[in-house]
Amino acid sequence: MRSKFGYFEDDYVPRERDGKLISKIIAIAAPHWKWVTFGLILSFGVTAASLALPYLLRLGIDQYIVNEELANIERVSGITQLSFLFLIIMLAGFGAQFCQIIVLEWAGQNMMHSLRRKLFIHTLHLPISFFNVTPVGRIVTRVTNDIQNMHEMFTSVVVTGVNDFIRLGGILILLFWMNWRLACVVSLVYPFLVLSTVLFGRLARDVSRQIRTSLAGLNTFIQENVSGVSVLQLFGVQQDSMNKYHILGEDYCQLVLRQIRIFGTFMPLIEFLQSIALSLIIWYGGGEIIREHMTLGDLTAFISYIRLFFQPVRELSQKYSIVQSAMASAERIFHLMDQEKTDSTGIIPLHIDGKIEFQGVSFSYEKNHPVLRNLTFTVRPGETLAIVGATGAGKSTIINLIERFHAPDEGAILLDGVNLQQLSSEWLRKIIGFVPQDLFIIAGTIRENIVLDLEVSDEDLDGILDLSQMSSVVKNLPDGLQTRIGEGFDLSRGQQQLMSLARVLARNPKILILDEATANVDSETEMLIDQALENVMSQRTCILIAHRLSTIRRADWILVMERGKIVESGSHDGLMAEKGHYFRLQRLLNITE
Amino acid sequence: MMSEFQIIKPYFKKYFFRLFVGIIAVLSVDFFQLCIPRLLKTAVDELGRLTPDNAIILRLALAISLLALLIAALRFIWRFLILGFSRLLEMELRNRLFSHILTLDRAFFQQRSAGDIMALSTNDLQAVQMACGMGVVASLDAIIMGLAALCCMIYIHPTLTVIALLPMPLLVIGARLLTRRLGRLFGTVQEQFSNLTEFSRDAIASIRLIKAYNQEDTYSSQFDKKGKIYVRNNFRLAFVHGTLFPLSSAIANASLLLVLWWGGRLVVDAEISIGDFIAFIAYLYMLTWPMMAMGWVVNLFQRGKISLQRIQEIFMARPLFSESEYPETVEEIQAIHLRNLSFAYPGSSQLVLRDVNLRIRPGILGIVGKTGSGKTTLCHLLTRLYPVEGGMIYFNNHDINKLGLADLRSHIAYIPQEVQLFSDSIAHNIRLGKNDATIEEVETAARMAVIHDEIMAMPDGYETMIGEKGILLSGGQRQRIALARGLLLNRPIMIIDDSFSAVDMETENKVIENLAEYLRGRICILVSHRIAPLRSAREIIVLENGAIVGRGSHDELLLKNNFYGTICRRQQVERF
Repeated sequence: MRSKFGYFEDDYVPRERDGKLISKIIAIAAPHWKWVTFGLILSFGVTAASLALPYLLRLGIDQYIVNEELANIERVSGITQLSFLFLIIMLAGFGAQFCQIIVLEWAGQNMMHSLRRKLFIHTLHLPISFFNVTPVGRIVTRVTNDIQNMHEMFTSVVVTGVNDFIRLGGILILLFWMNWRLACVVSLVYPFLVLSTVLFGRLARDVSRQIRTSLAGLNTFIQENVSGVSVLQLFGVQQDSMNKYHILGEDYCQLVLRQIRIFGTFMPLIEFLQSIALSLIIWYGGGEIIREHMTLGDLTAFISYIRLFFQPVRELSQKYSIVQSAMASAERIFHLMDQEKTDSTGIIPLHIDGKIEFQGVSFSYEKNHPVLRNLTFTVRPGETLAIVGATGAGKSTIINLIERFHAPDEGAILLDGVNLQQLSSEWLRKIIGFVPQDLFIIAGTIRENIVLDLEVSDEDLDGILDLSQMSSVVKNLPDGLQTRIGEGFDLSRGQQQLMSLARVLARNPKILILDEATANVDSETEMLIDQALENVMSQRTCILIAHRLSTIRRADWILVMERGKIVESGSHDGLMAEKGHYFRLQRLLNITE
Repeated sequence: MMSEFQIIKPYFKKYFFRLFVGIIAVLSVDFFQLCIPRLLKTAVDELGRLTPDNAIILRLALAISLLALLIAALRFIWRFLILGFSRLLEMELRNRLFSHILTLDRAFFQQRSAGDIMALSTNDLQAVQMACGMGVVASLDAIIMGLAALCCMIYIHPTLTVIALLPMPLLVIGARLLTRRLGRLFGTVQEQFSNLTEFSRDAIASIRLIKAYNQEDTYSSQFDKKGKIYVRNNFRLAFVHGTLFPLSSAIANASLLLVLWWGGRLVVDAEISIGDFIAFIAYLYMLTWPMMAMGWVVNLFQRGKISLQRIQEIFMARPLFSESEYPETVEEIQAIHLRNLSFAYPGSSQLVLRDVNLRIRPGILGIVGKTGSGKTTLCHLLTRLYPVEGGMIYFNNHDINKLGLADLRSHIAYIPQEVQLFSDSIAHNIRLGKNDATIEEVETAARMAVIHDEIMAMPDGYETMIGEKGILLSGGQRQRIALARGLLLNRPIMIIDDSFSAVDMETENKVIENLAEYLRGRICILVSHRIAPLRSAREIIVLENGAIVGRGSHDELLLKNNFYGTICRRQQVERF
């Protein structure tokens, strides 16, 4: 939906038929049917109690208060007895209502919890390509706010809705049972009630949808103009944006006033209908009393029941909008659920040497923008390959393909002769140790960050720390391994790489992939990293995206990349002799370092 | 300090008549509503007689219907008048707020985030509107109805009234206590909710690494744990909620019980008639609502008052510097002089610029330096986004403080570091400072900024709406659109504050090439992290900690400035 000045309502999910949606929602509720049923049973109790009280009043009036056939003493004691009964039913009603709220809240919370959990796990298993095109905020909203919306619907609509429904039915039955003629007369009001409610529901829904869009547009406008206020001031266009703002604000105000008119008609109308029902009761009911078809108590009960009958009708519009937004949320949630997960199953080889082959691999994230073009190379078991090249040459993409975050468009990547696509991705990621350039820190201590989900004994961990040179970092920390990261204490870029190395060592991977930090690392840490790399690289197949001379020289084989292609490859000495790209790079690095 | 109510007082004056009629309508509704139980009583008493008269009953029923019609009409009137008033007030207040905000300067926005101001213009205005609309009606209604119902009850039977009202204090106290607890628990739940949100945000932001380390299960179980805590607290909330809600109806019923028990006895003793008894119950129902509403209304007013105070704070804010009364104008700017320019941000003693002396003439002045060296501050001062002392910045021979703000800025096209685009068409975004620019002019500017072809490739060309689904501009595209916007202005001074950082090298080279011709005869200040665009600069200065530590041409600096030489070589490595 397009509105003025470029606001778009973010309703991007294809519409699903309501029936299908509801059956999906019911499927979520199904495992909790016991609690829900219990809640519904209690609901009958609550209704029975709330309907019994006016009935007791009626009994009191007819049998004792106006019954002049009885002696005064009997009348008074009868009233007292009734009052006692009234008290008991009242307390029972209170208890039932309390239990019902608790039971249904319990069911609702658990339902939403399991849905939220399922959704979160599902999301974690979606392919990386999904995350490339979907903003983080949008995914987070699904897991949090959208679930919350559904919960709101559950507690305030489903629960009270069922209560109301039972109550309305109960009242109708009682009315017809007490005096069917009067009940029929009162029923004259219902068609008007239904008609105006339906009409109102539609009007209110339309206008509130327009208001939502208009308000969102207004808010976007304010948001942008406030954050861009200095641009407006520098360009001298404040008046311009003020004018636009007036139009938006005026539109919004007109819509709101329309809403007031709609509600202002409906609410008094309902009250009016209620009063009409009251007049009908007095007029026809009075006649019935004169004809001795009913009693004064019946009349009072009728009046009370009609009051109870109208209560839920008034709250209808509010519930309607809750249902609307919950349905939209449900739709978005199920849309996310329908996204296909990555298939992590596949072959798990028994033995691994660690030979990696690229055979004519091409890849692009977007059509017509190839990132890798026909790449062919082989890394033999235990060998170290360094990849160098400018930003945007495609170095990181190679890692993404080896990690199987994406599949190549053309060609194949083989591990020990087996196509990567046939291997279990979970197993693959277990045997590949990846040291990323960007930080990956979970909230917790350094120890937790290193072991993650592994069980590592303290002795083993000490060994790992020594190998990865992390021990010299840890030594200087206030709480050692138990230092919490992020709470007033941060690791430097270089220290983060050491920690990543320790993390990888703890997993003892067959293949190591390192994306070296480009940021400056102080020389002391640099020495530590070099030593750690030395320890880590032995016995493993390694692929390094290198930026520093000392790292590059460590490699057996060097690939020089430019715009997705290999432009040179060979050993350090060989490439130096060629006096090509690599030679120039070395010279530059020499000057810089 | 002026009272916060001063802000809304004018609106109450302006809409006095509307409000007055509305309030009369509310009072009339209350009065007529109170009549209905009286009619009911008469009818019941008539029916209680041995030979009731059908005609009287019919007349009473008709009277009730007529009254109901009148009430409905009056209700519509007050809803429209008073609630409408609150909405009009909201709109006018928001207009005033927005136009005031547009006059405030950067210093203000450094203390107040955009989010802050958004909250103000949504939540706080909403609270004020609620207090002035529903709050006024509900409080009037509750007080009048409550008192009137109470009077009628006392009129029927004083002792019965006292007895019937015995449980009411319980309701008031119980509601107060539980509401307070509810508020506290609600806070906890909110906090846990944002905790959960934050956790999922973190997880999804680092999804690559989670997958690379096979950490899906760890994260799932942590999420599960957090979710369970959230559920537990929600459940505790439900306990309070589950007590409060039935409690209010139980207490109303308790009053009813007392009326049945004691009032029934009174009828038996013929102290009151059966009609009185039934009318009494009707009044009791009328009283329950005001009792429950009072807490809500008080809360509404409190929140409205606090919100109004917050809004007032914004209205109290003033721009840091005001225009001089007789601004000088400057025609053609040939040079900008900086004389011993030192600057610290308002409220801070740390100098961001120290003793900068510079003479800027037509041609490109390049500025390089580390993050935080004062480059952007210098740009901000030249556009007078912050005030400087007199005698430090001169345009030709005019002190910057003596020039009119609008006049000064009309000479400058400033392209700031952070690109600000608006949710509107691309054409509109480029036209921002020059509404009357023809599409040809817009296209020329876009061509110069090397963005034209990309715009044409979009579904609606220049009319493509930014922010529409699918049309997510890359950082480089956004920067070039902002550049086109600046180029279109065709102003003698251009300030480009590191505006190519996200543009790829090839495109950047083309942009620089295109600019060379455009910039001839103009003053251009070009802040850049990259060296390549600076090669053609007439002069380059190197800033460090706010001071100029090197100046000269590219070749000179390469030889004599260490910092410049280092970044230059480093960038060659990256691009080689």
